Amino acid sequence: MSDLRWDVIVVGGGHAGCEAAHAAARLGRRTALLTVKRGDIARMSCNPAIGGIAKGHMVREIDALGGLMGRVTDRAGIQFKMLNRGRGPAVWSPRAQCDKQRYSDEMLALLDGVAGLDIVEGVAQRALLEGGRVAGLELMDGRKLACDALIITPGTFLNGLIHIGDRQLEGGRIGEHAARALSECLGELGLERGRLKTGTPPRLHRDSIDWSALDEAPGDERPEPFSHWSGELRVDQALCWVTHTNARTHEVIRANLNRSPLYSGAIRGTGPRYCPSLEDKVVKFPERLSHHLFLEPEGRDVPEIYVNGVSTSMPEDVQLEFIRTIRGLERAEMIRPGYAVEYDFVLPHQLHATFEVKRIPGLYLAGQICGTSGYEEAAAQGLLAGINAARAQRGEGAFVLRRDQAYIGVLADDLVTREHVEPYRMFTSAAEHRLLLRADNADERLAEIGAAIGLLDESHVRAVREKYAAIAAESKRLENTWVRVESNGLAAAETGAERVVRASDWVTRAEGTVAGLATLGVACALPEVWASALEVRLKYRGYIERQQKTAASALALEEAAIPESLWEDALDGLSSEAREKLVRWRPETVAQASRIAGVSPADVAVLLVYVKRRSAER
Amino acid sequence: MSFALDDTIAAIATAPGEAGLAVVRVSGPSAIAIADRVFRGGAPLAGAAGNTLHHGWLAGDARVDEVVAALFRAPRSYTREDVVEFSCHGGSMPARSVLALLLASGARLARPGEFTLRAFLHGRLDLVQAEAVAELIGARSESMQRAALSRLGGQLSREMRAQLEALADALAEVEARVDFAEDVGGVEVPAELVARIGAIGGALRAHLRGAAWGRAMREGVPVVIVGQPNAGKSSLFNRLVGEDRAIVADVPGTTRDRVSATLEREGALFTISDTAGLRETSDGVEALGIARAHAALEDSAVAIWVLDGSRALDDADRAIAARLAGRRVLVALHKADRGEVVSEDGVRTLLVPAGAAGAAAESVAVVRTSAVTGDGVELALDALARVAGFVAGETLTVERQAHTLESACAALDRAAAVGAAGEPGEIVALELREALSALEELLGQRVSDDLLERVFSRFCIGK
Repeated sequence: MSDLRWDVIVVGGGHAGCEAAHAAARLGRRTALLTVKRGDIARMSCNPAIGGIAKGHMVREIDALGGLMGRVTDRAGIQFKMLNRGRGPAVWSPRAQCDKQRYSDEMLALLDGVAGLDIVEGVAQRALLEGGRVAGLELMDGRKLACDALIITPGTFLNGLIHIGDRQLEGGRIGEHAARALSECLGELGLERGRLKTGTPPRLHRDSIDWSALDEAPGDERPEPFSHWSGELRVDQALCWVTHTNARTHEVIRANLNRSPLYSGAIRGTGPRYCPSLEDKVVKFPERLSHHLFLEPEGRDVPEIYVNGVSTSMPEDVQLEFIRTIRGLERAEMIRPGYAVEYDFVLPHQLHATFEVKRIPGLYLAGQICGTSGYEEAAAQGLLAGINAARAQRGEGAFVLRRDQAYIGVLADDLVTREHVEPYRMFTSAAEHRLLLRADNADERLAEIGAAIGLLDESHVRAVREKYAAIAAESKRLENTWVRVESNGLAAAETGAERVVRASDWVTRAEGTVAGLATLGVACALPEVWASALEVRLKYRGYIERQQKTAASALALEEAAIPESLWEDALDGLSSEAREKLVRWRPETVAQASRIAGVSPADVAVLLVYVKRRSAER
Repeated sequence: MSFALDDTIAAIATAPGEAGLAVVRVSGPSAIAIADRVFRGGAPLAGAAGNTLHHGWLAGDARVDEVVAALFRAPRSYTREDVVEFSCHGGSMPARSVLALLLASGARLARPGEFTLRAFLHGRLDLVQAEAVAELIGARSESMQRAALSRLGGQLSREMRAQLEALADALAEVEARVDFAEDVGGVEVPAELVARIGAIGGALRAHLRGAAWGRAMREGVPVVIVGQPNAGKSSLFNRLVGEDRAIVADVPGTTRDRVSATLEREGALFTISDTAGLRETSDGVEALGIARAHAALEDSAVAIWVLDGSRALDDADRAIAARLAGRRVLVALHKADRGEVVSEDGVRTLLVPAGAAGAAAESVAVVRTSAVTGDGVELALDALARVAGFVAGETLTVERQAHTLESACAALDRAAAVGAAGEPGEIVALELREALSALEELLGQRVSDDLLERVFSRFCIGK
């Protein structure tokens, strides 16, 4: 083979590929990141934002483990918002509008600074195997690159097909090519593939919009950074705007449905239900006479305005027609039409939770190729794949996060244990231990782990330890501090009734807050964000402890590993449906087995008996 | 289902039914502490050595029973955990009261085979025994769960499923509000939704207190006697529930028009009701009685069809057979003392398709009986338990189901309370999920996988 040789080659420079390459290189592996064009590293192909509900949690987790996405977002962000601030603590989610070009530039600059990481331009053709395991990669131009691990992150480029009305173009992004050979190669390697669909809305020209007719959607007064290590953000916050579709918009769509590839049958792949096209929304929810839209700038100095809420694959003329029915957009000009893209993915039950393909050692997949959607989901997988590829080469054990440790753990586990018919997106409802997996405590949950892996700097972990020691000390102080409060919420002057309670107990009352302690003469000295973390701990302590208990009691199953050879046994006592599913999925722990549809609690108990018997035999 | 070894489990260890003694077993790390909370003996068990016996009383707010506690300390016990076995007075009520007391004091009701499973997981059993454990679990947990539920009457099972659906819908709506606040809008959990959650809890609790569960636990499995007028239903009823067998006679109230009695057989309780004869009639009062007989049949788990075997089958018999098709039926070819005109196979083919095997065949039995001589009455009672499909331990399953339902109701109460108090949706969801998983366990069914399906079909979600 060639003398061009790396330990790890990452194919694709999107959000999965960047995290994978960075992690592998940081863990001491000579790494190449293969991309078509250097300048296209970390492109935000769809919306110009990072984070949001459950996604923002994952970015915090990536950051706490030592990944890049949070740091880059803080540098490229132009509007920061903590979503759901007024709701429950499990759903507070950071989100940031980004300058797309700046995001690419910042990511490239960070990657360029990583020792042992080379960015190589080229187009992947096929994986090269020797003795059943990965040995290298052949490029379209005939070059052969040698490696021990290959991490494939092609996004929508894997056999991508773009639909704009009845027009079809090969490609993963408009104006770019499709990776057909690579998909065929995966098929030849025996991997079962499926087809998914996603879409993106049209981009309008900034100067063609009547801004005076639109409502402003500003960012937070005091932007909270994504990254735990960014310090205070100094950013001149950009504005977004809100408008709505109306009856006329919907009329135009209905009148042209026969020209939509979604309804003509031209699109075979299944799209995400949580990110429906506008034509889907109009057809499926006819009683909704209006849908809200956000207009989001794609950068500070670019003309593109992203129309969030109008994902569509209608023909260009129809898009323009219905866009112009909307208030403020009457004279809008499109820079690019919206489009749908179909692409191949690999059914993820064929992967270990490390993102290594079960039957091909050294081959890892991450991002949309595993059936997910979203920058954050992709980045999380890339991080896990990169860490695991490096650890395998260093002779270290698999790195898997549990469902009670991180959304990233939920993501990996859902991918390898569930059946997937639409692109998988993270929701907080996917996490049964949701109250434990908050955006405010990602550092507490994961920083020690990130440092133990070797990805997070020791100085960062020390800062996290100090933060939580301070919070614990303050919590203790409040428990040992007694305050006089009015009884039953009535003013003491009216009833003369006063009660003495622990300051910590007062905070758990409906009207109690850590900030409000100042009015009782026991002001909390913690920085605001830390004080808010303390308040959540105090107010929801009972529920948090309950979830901790449930998680702890499930640990035995999580740790019960199933030996691969067990699947050769007859496994009497299992229902036939369970046996069939288990042999197809080949779960690696009893806990994974318990989450496969069709496997009943009784089947799990029987499986546990077999597992214990195996370990007794050994 | 939980497989944790860190909690403490309890269950009645002896077979149900009338006996001199019953044993309730507690096993787990807190077994001794939990026992001490309710055991009033000479000294706390915590200070006692293993393999010792202690006389005393079990008491919560009031004394429950006089018992002997056998104390086993880990690892020298059946499960290799700390174990306390209370020998209490026989019969199902004392043991149930003792168990209830232990559950209220922190123990969890053991699942079928769980003591044996623990013994195995702690390495007490050898490999050959392990296979038996696997079969035991596979055979007992779900099939028994489902069987016991369906035996309590199809109506109950249907209604439980309806409540499960309603609960899954409510959870989906709460989840939509948590994950898609922007799309769905509004307050955390609106009053209308809180009311729905409360209603589900109320409906479930009604099942727990009244209807099938309560009846099965207090009075037994509902059995109805049907047949033509003068087939000998009442004479057979009197023979079946003869003075020596009846535990409770003359259940009052709504059953004024039909006589009921309870008896125990093979460890299970059966409530047998006599009904009006089934025939076409123009008499208004009699028609009312017949309508009630039909309703009783609908509510029953097993029917005893009393048929005059001394004369040929007629159209009225065939009409009754058509009504009974597909049910669990014990046919009594009655008046055997007067002659054997109807053949056993002849009546069987009316109820069971030719060549049927397995459950369909086993759900029908035919016995010749005579109220005059008493012949066949014992055989009929044996056949009753068989037709009902009862195996030893099944009443415990019913008890477990009632307990699981109770915990679902408690979680629903908490969900409604925190929802009404304006707590965040994820807190309400936490309680609803707990209720849902209890109900799923009860029905041997999972619905959570289609949570998102429910969300997306109902709400216009997505930017």
